[in-house]
Amino acid sequence: MSLENILTDWSRYRKGLEQGGFHDYEHMWGMVIDLDKCTGCGACVVACYAENNLAVVGKDRFADGHAMHWLRIERYWDEPDLGEGRVAEYQHHGASFLPMHCQQCNAATCEPVCPVAATYHTPDGLNAQVYNRCIGSRYCSNNCPYRLRYFNFFSYYESSWPAPLHMQLNPDLTVRDKGVMEKCTFCVQRIRAAKDKAQMEDRKLTDGEFQPACVQTCPTSAMTFGDILDLHNPGKGVENTRAAALWRKHEVELGKTRQTKQDPDLRGYRIFEGLNTDPKVLFLERVREV
Amino acid sequence: MSGIRQLFSGRWSFPGVRIPVGERAGLSSTAGFLALVVALFACAPLAAQAGSTVPNAVPPEGTYSGKDVPQPIEFPHDIHAKINGINCMYCHTYARRSKVAGIPPTSKCMGCHSVIATDKPRIKQLTEYWEKREPPHWLKVHDLPDFVHFTHEKHIKRFVFDNPELPVEQVSEVCAFCHGDIKDMTVAKKQKPLTMGFCRSCHEANNGPFDCWKCHK
Repeated sequence: MSLENILTDWSRYRKGLEQGGFHDYEHMWGMVIDLDKCTGCGACVVACYAENNLAVVGKDRFADGHAMHWLRIERYWDEPDLGEGRVAEYQHHGASFLPMHCQQCNAATCEPVCPVAATYHTPDGLNAQVYNRCIGSRYCSNNCPYRLRYFNFFSYYESSWPAPLHMQLNPDLTVRDKGVMEKCTFCVQRIRAAKDKAQMEDRKLTDGEFQPACVQTCPTSAMTFGDILDLHNPGKGVENTRAAALWRKHEVELGKTRQTKQDPDLRGYRIFEGLNTDPKVLFLERVREV
Repeated sequence: MSGIRQLFSGRWSFPGVRIPVGERAGLSSTAGFLALVVALFACAPLAAQAGSTVPNAVPPEGTYSGKDVPQPIEFPHDIHAKINGINCMYCHTYARRSKVAGIPPTSKCMGCHSVIATDKPRIKQLTEYWEKREPPHWLKVHDLPDFVHFTHEKHIKRFVFDNPELPVEQVSEVCAFCHGDIKDMTVAKKQKPLTMGFCRSCHEANNGPFDCWKCHK
């Protein structure tokens, strides 16, 4: 996507949800996270750190909000009030967990604000971040309602992997330097490797051929990853993936700001879909004992 | 001789027949060995074709004059690839199977040089390394920044294996798109800029992918 291409295709790439959005998709990678299965163990976070060369910033910088965790587990408490006179750092009961990584919005709010088109929508339906193009304006991060973009305020690589730990770095993606924004990519290096392999064998990419690191690691299989292109037209030739089946089962539709499902037993929801971002991560609500 | 060459070219590009990639390119197969032998004796037609362009391809635009690279052994590309007509992918065997083209192991050199030209000073140097069981520390000539991910196999597939009009013997002309006339050099030097504009000129002309995340990730 050269500058000329960007200028020519500006309206195509910058189309809002109301105008039908960007439609020339080859794939549309999406995810389903079943919060009923999530135990909050954090294996996905560790996997993400290992796969994506995420820097370990240290306690002080973490406290300053500089953590580089592309995937974070948010904790929520059912009963925030511990009762009178009870002081505790955390509660013993009632925690629920919410794994949060880039929602790969179809109408991403981060994309139109980038002054250099370093973040854009790929034909795979991914929200891309091109590190060597990024100038570090941080507009995207400020415009992300989920706060899922992370900025390299320092050259973390200098201290994060003291020898011989630098040998564990993944060679398939860049080690980011300071001044660059980064975020979850749905493990694009794995997507590209699987796609290259399929192309070398003259066939189409099939479901389950690859998984992002978090999905692969999840011990309770709470995460499901797959192609959700033509979610609403299952017969259209695109594989009926497990992820797409779950989206259909829970009657959640793309391109809507409000779902119309009637059955209260259907647990699917998307975070902040009312903001018109059209996220591609479906969460299945946790069933509580009341 | 050129008749035999044409026969071979015909065999590689026989319409309707899909030959597995490994077999088509591999000089390890009998046919491949024959091709090598033919190539060895077919210097004259090869030299005549040196200026010819690759069909169904527009090469990238740009030149660069790189510095001399002080390699541990002055490997003469011209003797191997030009005078003896050895296919590039005989030694750089991973070019058709992986992201990197690969530097051949010393055992591959010794495969020929335990019997060929053993009295030459460079070969003596090589034999020394071999006997010490130590690889020569070759220096990288064509280096890309870490944020660029180039894949050899897909480019070889597009320009050679998916290009029926180009016989595999002439793969060096495709290699020359980005590596310059290595055939005419002793120690390889960088002759092409390998910048993004250079890549772009070729991707635009040949309808290559234009997604940033194809190469940068």
